[in-house]
Amino acid sequence: MNRGFNNVIRIWMVFIYIILFLPIIVIVLMSFNKTNYGMLPYVFCLDWYTYLFTKSELFPATLLSLELAFSVTALATVLGTAAAVGLQYMSRQLSARFQSISQLPIIIPWLVQAISILLLLNFTGLGRSYIGMFLGNLIVVLPYVIMMVAGRFADADRTPEDAARMLGASQLRVFFDIILPMLFPGILSGALMSFMVCFNAFCMQYFLAPFGVRTLPMEIFTLIRTGYKPDINALATLLIIVTTIIVLALNKLKYSVKKMFGT
Amino acid sequence: MSYNINKFTKGSLWVAPSSLLFLCLSIVPLCMLLLFSFLSGNIGINGEMPGYTVNNFIKIFSSITFFKLMFKSVGIGLIVTLICIVFAYPAAWGIAKVAKPKNRNLLIMMVIIPFFTSQLLLIYSMMTILQAKGFLMLILGFLKIADPSTSILYTNTAVIIVLVYEYLPYMILCLYTSLEGINDNLIHASFSLGAGKVKTFINVIFPMSMPGLLSGILLVLVPVTGSFVEPILLGGPYGMMVGSLINSQFSIVLNMGYGATLSFVFLVIIIIIMAIIRMFITRAKYSIGGT
Repeated sequence: MNRGFNNVIRIWMVFIYIILFLPIIVIVLMSFNKTNYGMLPYVFCLDWYTYLFTKSELFPATLLSLELAFSVTALATVLGTAAAVGLQYMSRQLSARFQSISQLPIIIPWLVQAISILLLLNFTGLGRSYIGMFLGNLIVVLPYVIMMVAGRFADADRTPEDAARMLGASQLRVFFDIILPMLFPGILSGALMSFMVCFNAFCMQYFLAPFGVRTLPMEIFTLIRTGYKPDINALATLLIIVTTIIVLALNKLKYSVKKMFGT
Repeated sequence: MSYNINKFTKGSLWVAPSSLLFLCLSIVPLCMLLLFSFLSGNIGINGEMPGYTVNNFIKIFSSITFFKLMFKSVGIGLIVTLICIVFAYPAAWGIAKVAKPKNRNLLIMMVIIPFFTSQLLLIYSMMTILQAKGFLMLILGFLKIADPSTSILYTNTAVIIVLVYEYLPYMILCLYTSLEGINDNLIHASFSLGAGKVKTFINVIFPMSMPGLLSGILLVLVPVTGSFVEPILLGGPYGMMVGSLINSQFSIVLNMGYGATLSFVFLVIIIIIMAIIRMFITRAKYSIGGT
């Protein structure tokens, strides 16, 4: 295509990236602004950061979200990896069927998925509870781990495995010395991804958290409706930095967009 | 041979725990939604069931509220999807074909960052931008387009703007994966055989991008139609969508039976929409020679 057309495309790309990053830049700028609520005049200060670490009320919710995300990720990573390994022993057809069923919790609108789990939990007498919230979040991150690890299996060279078997290595030895190191980038990508998804899964937490307990997304939801202090910007800026680091790590791990969005 | 069968059965056992979870926490609850749709009230604290009734279904099909909101939600879903396509297509093309290959990774990572950022934080930030005397209104006021002390916040327009912003990365990433896969030689061949730019786009590029476009539509339309956070926070009194109606049965009115009925009917409609899009995806893949 000619140069003029390409320049139009370039200008459009700049426009799109500005749109994508505008809210993020606004949050970061606000976190250093002494004037509240995104208003002018802009006066640089670090007060909100000191406020965040000394008297913020956001701390319990952040801690709960971190605990939830870590515990859910830990179990999802183990179960998801096991499932991806198991898929290798199944026929291609059966494995494809399992993978499409495993996508169900992320394809169905989360509103319906969360409500149906809530009703089931009420039915069993468990109701809104920590264990319910844990299970609800687990089921929406598990598909991501399976997807990432199974994708790693599909990409990897499988000859070392056969060679090791032929040379007399036991099943266990093959698994720990060959399969696990080979899968490691996939496992780590899956874990990072499920951590992010779980940390942000507002819908699941909103419907399944015990009464009176608020995770960070729920806390932000409440604060938007009832009024907030600007230390939320400082916390958001820190979260954006963490997100960026995780995205960079995923990139290093050859996290492929195609796995997630390819058809 | 017997060794192989043994290995086969033992190996696939690794799938069992995950299968059990998907069964108990996704498939069974979704199926039981139909049972719960017939409840006449709430489930008790220890799981006591209230009586069963068909009134919930009669209520849905006799009042127009649900279908009006459903219609509106699908409409908003279609508008948001369309705007996302218009915004994302040239950008995805740019990332896939115009940008230097060594920059592609960076550009894609930059799309993934907002995609991984908390939805609530993005909504909150957009609210400060859209509020009266906020960033956007000050610019519009400066350009004398609008009065900076007014705001579009708490209208359906605000809901649409924020939804477009939230789902734009999905569309870009889906389109990118398809466009990036188009072999440049195909485009050159089309040109050297005498096709113009428009003809090349219509006959070569667009059909090749169809699978990505359709999966982008699937990933945007379905969640947008079912969104409830945005209408609650940004929609104001007339911003209700079907998601907020369903949510209100669980958080305000507390009528779980009716809430289940609403969710069930909503789910059936969504599944029909998804099935239609999936059918098109299969057809599009077949027509460009994929499997």
